[in-house]
Amino acid sequence: MNTTLAAGANLDFSPAQQLTVIALCALTAFISHMALAVFNDGVRPFMLDFIQGRSTRSATTAVSFGLSAGFIFGLGAPMALSTGVLNPWLLFLPTDILGLLAPKKWIAPILGGAWGAVVVFGLNGANDVAHDLPVDFLTAMQQMSTPILFLFTLFPVLAITKQFGRVWGGVAGVLELALVVMTMKIWPNMFAGALAMAVGVLMLIGLAIAKDVRERKAARAEGGGVEEVVLADDPMASLFSSSAARLRKFLPLFMVLGAGVCVLAQMHIFGGGEATSFLIAKGHYSEAAQVDFYRVFGFIPLIATTALASGAYGIAGFTLVYPIGYLLPNPFLAAIVGAAVFAVEVLALSYIGKFLGKLPSVRDSSEHLRSAITDTLQLAILFGSLMAANAMGAGLGILVVGGLYLLNEAMGRPVVRMAAAPAAVIVGGILLNLLYWLDLFTPIKG
Amino acid sequence: MKKILTGGVGKVEVTGTVKALALDGIDIVVSSDMDAAMKLRVGQADFYLGTCHTGAGASLGVLVGLMGQPACHTFGRSVPTEDEVNSLLDQGKKVFGFSMDQIDVIAPLIARAIAARA
Repeated sequence: MNTTLAAGANLDFSPAQQLTVIALCALTAFISHMALAVFNDGVRPFMLDFIQGRSTRSATTAVSFGLSAGFIFGLGAPMALSTGVLNPWLLFLPTDILGLLAPKKWIAPILGGAWGAVVVFGLNGANDVAHDLPVDFLTAMQQMSTPILFLFTLFPVLAITKQFGRVWGGVAGVLELALVVMTMKIWPNMFAGALAMAVGVLMLIGLAIAKDVRERKAARAEGGGVEEVVLADDPMASLFSSSAARLRKFLPLFMVLGAGVCVLAQMHIFGGGEATSFLIAKGHYSEAAQVDFYRVFGFIPLIATTALASGAYGIAGFTLVYPIGYLLPNPFLAAIVGAAVFAVEVLALSYIGKFLGKLPSVRDSSEHLRSAITDTLQLAILFGSLMAANAMGAGLGILVVGGLYLLNEAMGRPVVRMAAAPAAVIVGGILLNLLYWLDLFTPIKG
Repeated sequence: MKKILTGGVGKVEVTGTVKALALDGIDIVVSSDMDAAMKLRVGQADFYLGTCHTGAGASLGVLVGLMGQPACHTFGRSVPTEDEVNSLLDQGKKVFGFSMDQIDVIAPLIARAIAARA
């Protein structure tokens, strides 16, 4: 209990860190204003119409707000509050919106920078206030890390089962379980799921590539060539190449962006994925790097194809700069490496698109991976939230948090399911504090 | 017979949900955004149902770019009524995106509306 308490309480941003966040938010808002990149994968497909002038700035802003609001308040904010670590939903979804909203080029970075300031100063304040409350629900939320970490380990197994059936899924499950047990026994200091996750992801990619190669051979054997003809007058190819050319034109700006995101990750005040914030908060940087590295495989095809289709890239690129950033020893190196990674990503974008076009099963795998990540995290976050509820208010806590979650379900999920439980913990925590002031609830001693 | 392709994060679930309805006149197959875009363009398929977290982006993927905005509609995170779905089909929408945690409600709604026209 003591170690988790320390991890949540001692995160104060240094002036250099505050400046980095503010500057980066200004930059991302500017880039969003120029329609060069947005963080929300859901907004990207709508950028093409905006870039080509078929839809207005205000209409695009409305789309961006509609698709991001739930994730900012439901996922980004509770995650940042409970860990004290920043995340992309809290930083980059609002800068997507603010950048698009800004009517003039110079207003975008001002709005973005202002948001960055609100976050760094507000998060510290909110964190301090919440930790001083009689019912400290933020410390209770640290309970989420165990189920998240251990269940996340299983995501390759679920993806393999969905894509390649029960037998392969079973094999992967047994293999991963054996590796977790072995890791715990032989390397007790290593994150137990690290090796299992690596093997699981490699197995999925191996199976997918094998399937694609097999099918291509089969197609060629029965007189292939059909695919090539379709590709020759392919509207996709022309759309993709004009998008890639547009992005390449702004390569220096993207390199600055890559440097900024990588430096932020290097400062260890930022977690890129759902599971990562908790790991960063506890100082487990290499584990965080592994988790975010495997997560990348679920997103490369999505980000590449939406970027090539829309002409707008991802604010964090393929998100490879997160794990690289966590591991680098200093911010200067992070800036150089981050810029280089983004340069390679942007330059390679059209090759990656072409390559993925030939590997349908690999693209399939990435969709199954993302679906599996959601499934594991949904259970983990729900279970972790109930554990947090138990830690802060025992039965009454479980009643309130579980009840709010069920109510959200019954109302047709106004709050995204993934975020419903953590949001319920915060609401429940505030409620328990109110009950304490009314003398109706005695806090549980941790 | 109307051919529906699915894509996005919840494509297996969408296909399963619609197949379980055992509707006449529709055939639903797991696909992907890029394949579906090509098939819809050449008329090898009639509709596309995409799913993701937001109900918009990854679910529609490259389809907005290749099919054009007028052929696409996203419900985002909202749940439509039967009338809304019918009027969208009247407008000639072929590509629908919705949020993966609302598959159980929206997928049957669209599938029934399409089957009624098949």
